Amino acid sequence: MWAYVLRRLLYSIPIYLGIILFVMAALRVNDPVYAYLGKHASREQIDQKRKTMGLDQPFLVQYGKFLGQVFTLDFESTKSWQYETKSVGEILGERIGPTAAITVPALVVTTVVSIGVGLIAAFYRGRLIDRALMVLIVLGMSVSVLVFIIFGQYFGANWLKEKHGIEWFASGGYEPWISWGGTEGFRVKPGIWVYYCALPVLIDVILAMGYDTRFYRAVMVEETGRDYITTAVAKGATRRKVMFAHMLKNAMIPIITRVMISFPFLIGGSILLERYFRIPGMGNALIDSITNKDFPVIQAFTAVFAAVFVLSVILTDVLYALVDPRVRLS
Amino acid sequence: MRSGTIGVCLLAAACGGRPGHAVAQPPAAPLKVAVVPIRTDGPKSLDPVKGSTQYDNQACSQIFDCLVQYKYLARPLELQPALLAEMPVVTDNPDGTQTWKFRLRDDVYFQDDPCFPGGKGRRLVAADVFYSWRRLADPKYELENWWLVEGLIAGFDAYKDEQGRKVADGKGAFDYAEPVEGLRLVNDREFEVVLTQPVQQFRWKLAQFQLSVVPREAVEKYGDQFGRHPIGSGPFMVRDGDWQPGQFINFTRNPDYRPEVYPSEIGPDKDEAASDIALGLNKPAGTRLPILDRVECPFYVPDPPMWLDFESGKLGFVQIPAEYFDKAINRRTRKLRESFRAKGVSLYPVPLLDFIFRGFNMEDEVVGGYTERAKKLRQAISLAFDLDEMNESFYNGTNIVYDGPIPPGLHGHPTNGEAPANYRGPNLALAKKLLAEAGYPDGNGLGEIVYYTSRGGNQEEQMQAEVQFCRAIGVRITPRLVDFSELIEAINKKIAPMFGYAWGSDYPDGENNLALFYSKNESPGPNAFNYKRPEYDAMYEQARRLPPGDERTALYIRMRDMIIEDTPYIGSMARIRYYAINGWLKNLKPSEDFQNWYKYLDVDESARTSPGSKSAAASSADQTGGR
Repeated sequence: MWAYVLRRLLYSIPIYLGIILFVMAALRVNDPVYAYLGKHASREQIDQKRKTMGLDQPFLVQYGKFLGQVFTLDFESTKSWQYETKSVGEILGERIGPTAAITVPALVVTTVVSIGVGLIAAFYRGRLIDRALMVLIVLGMSVSVLVFIIFGQYFGANWLKEKHGIEWFASGGYEPWISWGGTEGFRVKPGIWVYYCALPVLIDVILAMGYDTRFYRAVMVEETGRDYITTAVAKGATRRKVMFAHMLKNAMIPIITRVMISFPFLIGGSILLERYFRIPGMGNALIDSITNKDFPVIQAFTAVFAAVFVLSVILTDVLYALVDPRVRLS
Repeated sequence: MRSGTIGVCLLAAACGGRPGHAVAQPPAAPLKVAVVPIRTDGPKSLDPVKGSTQYDNQACSQIFDCLVQYKYLARPLELQPALLAEMPVVTDNPDGTQTWKFRLRDDVYFQDDPCFPGGKGRRLVAADVFYSWRRLADPKYELENWWLVEGLIAGFDAYKDEQGRKVADGKGAFDYAEPVEGLRLVNDREFEVVLTQPVQQFRWKLAQFQLSVVPREAVEKYGDQFGRHPIGSGPFMVRDGDWQPGQFINFTRNPDYRPEVYPSEIGPDKDEAASDIALGLNKPAGTRLPILDRVECPFYVPDPPMWLDFESGKLGFVQIPAEYFDKAINRRTRKLRESFRAKGVSLYPVPLLDFIFRGFNMEDEVVGGYTERAKKLRQAISLAFDLDEMNESFYNGTNIVYDGPIPPGLHGHPTNGEAPANYRGPNLALAKKLLAEAGYPDGNGLGEIVYYTSRGGNQEEQMQAEVQFCRAIGVRITPRLVDFSELIEAINKKIAPMFGYAWGSDYPDGENNLALFYSKNESPGPNAFNYKRPEYDAMYEQARRLPPGDERTALYIRMRDMIIEDTPYIGSMARIRYYAINGWLKNLKPSEDFQNWYKYLDVDESARTSPGSKSAAASSADQTGGR
């Protein structure tokens, strides 16, 4: 297996280098210096800024330098162009926590609930319960994410507070909900997580559930037609046993595929949710960096995201072998 | 299992309520705290020498002080001493230079910080002023704000060049002690600045936040982290953890702030003064500043969450976003709707010093140049544009349409916004006539004109409207919607024949806008039109030397009319920003020309704790005036 993993990693290197090359080249199509310096810029300042940003160097030199940073994981020595007092590593490090506070619970809840609903719908395929669930799910999918966010903020935060004096959820903002070190030591503050994160997580779950449930239902429907299910039913297995012991186990390959596809987005974050709920996560950092042409952060983000994507694809293959002994990695 | 965990979390939240409010506090004097929004992802640095945006200004102006400041309640805008004991004394010298004599207050201290001996902030002295200004010349700070003093102070440009060369050649560090001819220390409190020539606008620059005074000890101790750990002498401090980039910034009262009280001076604009009195803005006169213990500023990039937080009473004020304009304001009367008035919300319109225009590149082969043919072509295009229609369609009719480059409220702005001779459209008959006289009857013989503007907002729709305006007289426009950086690049490289752009005045003097047509400011400088007329330059140089008065205003008008006749742009428009203010926030007279007004704000806790209660001041009036 390790030989397989190593080989896949080696195969991925050209793709990885290509992605970084493409992003770096695309970012340099327009010179960012003019936008940075604005209306009062003189030729001297423009030249000075280009030099400070390293844009006066040949592209291949810039590319080589960045690859050096990526392969030595040195994101601390490069400063953000947007926040010159912060290093790129510092920005990425600060942002992963808030993003994970939303994406990890959302992925877990969505996956568990969607698989459950998918199983139920598949088992009762064509009956009222299946149709009712599918109508609800398609309805949820059809509504814009912004509608969910704005309604969520209005009713979940402002309306509750204004009309009933209940302040369970924040309309925006973030506070760290896990602390370690200092006088407090390690401490988890679930109340803070609920206050800032529960509403965006809930919205994320509602949004993702539609797509996931339809997918899992389709997988389960396919499984229900298999011979082993007919055999199990003929042998008198209970409905619960058929669903959870037979169907679910055999549907693990597509489930793993689906979950692992989402894996890089645990780090990438949700731009809209983070933007509207003012969560200082990776999605927010990325869109800020794009807006402000903060190349070092965009490049580092791309490098990290692409690496996680490549690794998650390899990990998916490994998991296939673990859950299904018939799969051999060679 | 998981749902059980979630249930526990929900229970914890239900019992604890909002984090930070969960733990009972021992009784203490209640802190006065206001929450006000910053409508973007906030400042990029808290070091004034690195600042450029309005949001940098919003943050830095609370932490640092300038030599002078704007009078809070006076309109038209006037200056008064801040760090100075009195306004500078200006003397014209026989050699054509001008000397400005300054005397500092002796009761200004920097905030306490470990960078000072014993951690106690020291007194601010004249050397701090020069140190802060010299930083503008230091290449380490990339000369971002050098434009403020460029060519202004005797010997300063030479000092910058010499030091810059030395640093570039690796022959040493930037020397802050090297003498500069025009920067003369008299003693700890007094100093003189010699200008290369009389420039009246220098006084306005003294109020620019980039010229704030910083302590050398802090800059040297914190190095490139000074922008995150700012130490100033202003009314508020930003402590560690108070600024989370992209999220919020909190300002805490500086207990050692110099003795300053809420102003009693109102006016001289009588209407403005009357409305200020009706709002009770004169009542706190004499109150020691800052009044608030803390100002919390969350950053909002999308507008809807900001608006919801304002409606729920969390935010003290909000700039009414375009998409909520009709919800909050009756478009016909320009008054706040009753539903908001009933909640104690008041409305304050603030005219901005905007110059929104569509420019021509005067070096372009077709639309540029100073021949009659080229001039008539530009005039014809200008006459085809319907700016009132644009205002109604895209700005809720809230903009001010005017002739010339000088925004409303400044000397040189035409009466009622209309210059005696102008080429403001729509006047299709005249436009077609001029187009024919230019040699392009019905647009025949004229190629497509490439028109650059930046993407975003409703720019595409605006562009389509403008294409239609031109098509009506036979002029064909090729729209080019580009990123803002590409737009600036196209302008700076002089490749955009026509472009959509805007200028916000740096200070309230028409000179700032007239400088946009001064030949020495051509691209990549602020003269995006590359307008070059020696006679205009001569008038501009003369006007810079003149103090405010009839003679200078007459010169401004001549320059304005010369520009209108040459038509290097189509315009103009200025925005009005509408501020909605919750009843619990007191003393707010919003301005976007200066930003150090947080120190005047107060809160009325009784109005804040009872949602919907109507405060006396808020119910008194909607402001229909402005500046």
